[in-house]
Amino acid sequence: MTLIWKLLRQHISALQLLGFFVANLLGMLIVLLALQFYRDVRPIFSQEDGIINNDYLILSKRISTMGLASTSFSERELDDIRSQSFTKSIGAFTASQYKVACSMGIEGVANFGTQMYFESVPDQFVDTDRSQWHYQEGSDLVPIILPRSYLAIYNFGFAQSRSLPKLSESVISMLDMVVVLRGNGQERRMRGKIVGFTNRLQTILVPESFMKWSNSQFAPESDTAPTRLIVEVNNPTDERITQYVQEHGLDIDEDKLKAGKTTYFLKVMSGIVMGVGLLISALSFFILMLSIYLLVQKNTQKLQNLLLIGYSPLRVSLPYQLLTIGMNALVLVLALGLLWWLRGYYMNLLWAMFPTIQETSMWPALALGVVLFLIVSVLNAIAVRRKVMAIWHG
Amino acid sequence: MNTIRLEHTFPEVFANRSDLSSEVWQQDITFQKGHLYLVEASSGTGKSSLCSFLYGYRHDYQGIITFDGQNIRNLKVADWTRLRQRHLSLMWQELRLFPELTAMENVLIKNRLTGFKAKKDIRRWFDELGIADKENARLGQMSFGQQQRVAMMRALVQPFDFLMVDEPISHLDDQNARTMADIMMEEATRQGAGVIVTSIGKHIDMNYDQILKL
Repeated sequence: MTLIWKLLRQHISALQLLGFFVANLLGMLIVLLALQFYRDVRPIFSQEDGIINNDYLILSKRISTMGLASTSFSERELDDIRSQSFTKSIGAFTASQYKVACSMGIEGVANFGTQMYFESVPDQFVDTDRSQWHYQEGSDLVPIILPRSYLAIYNFGFAQSRSLPKLSESVISMLDMVVVLRGNGQERRMRGKIVGFTNRLQTILVPESFMKWSNSQFAPESDTAPTRLIVEVNNPTDERITQYVQEHGLDIDEDKLKAGKTTYFLKVMSGIVMGVGLLISALSFFILMLSIYLLVQKNTQKLQNLLLIGYSPLRVSLPYQLLTIGMNALVLVLALGLLWWLRGYYMNLLWAMFPTIQETSMWPALALGVVLFLIVSVLNAIAVRRKVMAIWHG
Repeated sequence: MNTIRLEHTFPEVFANRSDLSSEVWQQDITFQKGHLYLVEASSGTGKSSLCSFLYGYRHDYQGIITFDGQNIRNLKVADWTRLRQRHLSLMWQELRLFPELTAMENVLIKNRLTGFKAKKDIRRWFDELGIADKENARLGQMSFGQQQRVAMMRALVQPFDFLMVDEPISHLDDQNARTMADIMMEEATRQGAGVIVTSIGKHIDMNYDQILKL
């Protein structure tokens, strides 16, 4: 033990240092735990592991109570959405602006008819086999894609209650479908062919080329500004989507955003917890600083005499600097150890619930711990040095 | 360092005093290496101030003090640290020892900084000064006279060009004062250093090159 240390350890208050130690350990642990927990839990809600996997979102404008405000998107609004960082690509739904009637039957006998409408999206957004998905102008054949849920409604709702036969997808594809288009003083009968079913788009789809032709043919004057958009996103759990949708008064399929909201919530909670941890760390830092200041104050005479007999301010500062840095290092090691132990505990719970989640690394938490340690230690060292220099200058 | 020069120097607190008659303050005087000086003073004439100005821990003076022609107001922290380790030694009137350490530790804490003396040389001094039995006694348990001897030893365990001793023998009997003066002069002569002794009354009887009245 050096003589300097024998001198300067006088008046060290074990209780104050213990107070700092516990507070700093707690603060550091909370910060690191919040970060690690966030990183460990996030994959459950993000798409990488496939629990929630939707790349496409359907956006529409919220319909006001009176239903009078325009619900179509302007070019400017489209550009705005296109420029958002979460957007990969964007497609507009185009609705038919003319009347559509449709009847279905077997072998030419129509036994089911309804008024309906068509919509189209750019072909790239269609998630079924696209080999038959094109329309030749002048042809009478219209390829159609139905939502899979419509078939379910028919099979399990309508057919059940009327004792009608249940239809498989392949049977439906063989049905004769007569489509009558009316508008602009014209009428045209065409044949519809169901070429596929989709889970993604809840509408009756026709190829975009057909939509362009038919709208120009039967409703040339109409406004065809889109009222619904399909957006391919990089990460559907991105909370910026939620924020954007809320800020712009848009509607979106709730289910698809649940994960995004949960992730956002998780992030906010982790942020708050980390903030509390940082606050505790900051307070513990002040406890230490006060304790060291008090110590320096009580040992002013000794420090001054050491400086006068030829010790440099560096040598005189060193014992207190090493003391604080040593304590900070111990806090870091203990906090990391405790983090590792606690993480083992909650990861077992997580694995029990979500066996497929991947283990994330602890490196970021370690790095954050080291960064905190360095910041606090450097500030401590500077503060001690300044106090000693104040004594030098009398 | 060969010369310490005071040019028209005086403590700021004396600025309004018109009756200042001193052979040091407001004079131009030079202390040479290798010479022995006695600065005699009555109390309140700024004896300890002189030491603190020359040792660089008080700057409340007017005029100019130079070491080898360099104004000491321009010296940096590192310069003073180097000077206090290698060129300038001071034995304070108030001693400035560490009561928490033993007598030996008080000397060693300086010697470890300079690595100047072997422990056996320090032991020999303890012996010659008649406090060999106090080597491991805590300083707080020693008399002021005994502490003065420890302080002298601490002032000697370093290389120096000038040694300043402020009231070194105020609490010593003649015999011990003589011994201490011998040890001090032996070391100073060996190093070829200048010695500045201050006193307000009782002073070591030595062959001074110059006696100045403060």
